Amino acid sequence: MIIAAVICLLLGIVCGQFFFVPKMVELFSMVADYALIVLMFSVGISVGENKVLFRKMREYNVRVMVIPAGIVVGSLLGGIVGSLVLQMPLRESLCIASGMGWYSLSGVLLTDLVGAEIGTIAFLSNILREILTFLLIPVLAKYLNPYTAVAPAGATSSDTSLSILMKYTNEEVAMMAVINGLLCTALIPVLINSLFTLLS
Amino acid sequence: MSAISILIFLLVGAVIGWKFFPERWNKLNINIQLAATLVLIFSMGVSLGSRPDFIYEIANMGLRSLVFSVLAIVGSILVVYPLTKKYLEDPDWKEGREE
Repeated sequence: MIIAAVICLLLGIVCGQFFFVPKMVELFSMVADYALIVLMFSVGISVGENKVLFRKMREYNVRVMVIPAGIVVGSLLGGIVGSLVLQMPLRESLCIASGMGWYSLSGVLLTDLVGAEIGTIAFLSNILREILTFLLIPVLAKYLNPYTAVAPAGATSSDTSLSILMKYTNEEVAMMAVINGLLCTALIPVLINSLFTLLS
Repeated sequence: MSAISILIFLLVGAVIGWKFFPERWNKLNINIQLAATLVLIFSMGVSLGSRPDFIYEIANMGLRSLVFSVLAIVGSILVVYPLTKKYLEDPDWKEGREE
């Protein structure tokens, strides 16, 4: 998926820079609006139909919220520091950090809400988060604790990072990683939209 | 599109997924997500590539992206680690919750 996403982004950039006339660029902006509606609706269906998530959440009780809550707060703190370091507006910085590894959604959402530049930073920073996660999981599991290995993964802990988490941690952490990934996945669009609206 | 309308589509989807969505359509739903995502990423590229100063902006964006990814990761680790020490590693707390 990550390769397909990067190829699509590069193809789009080449078309926008060298081949498409302004009318075509406008057309694709309209297409993106409809694709975003389809994506949001479809993601909603995925979250709603996941009965395992709700069952496991009851089973693990309040403990299940520890990791996702920490990831959300930590990512937002990272966004605040990023805003200060890079002298960027707080709203945009928090929205970028709220992507929590879901590069495709955070990238397209922020392109739609703010513009192509912030959308691309969100896309790239969350792709980088996913790549760095692969390198960090073994180190964190060894030197801190297995639960903390889920922290960099964010929303990717239920899909792309899961196999590495399973390799370097245990079954309990893997189950928490799945729940964490699903919760983060459900939270990201809500968080980005809420922050964008509240800080506007 | 406004942030509110995006949230409304997400919510409507969640209600349909929870109440009415047949399980046999899951694969189709995942494929639709994939197709919509790739169309959106391509459109994002088009919108980005159509900017006249794009070539000059990309280097700057790469550095800012790296800073955001590192800070979000470091922030997550710094908050999650003490929380897991207190709530997930402590056997008394664990037993107390599970009783």
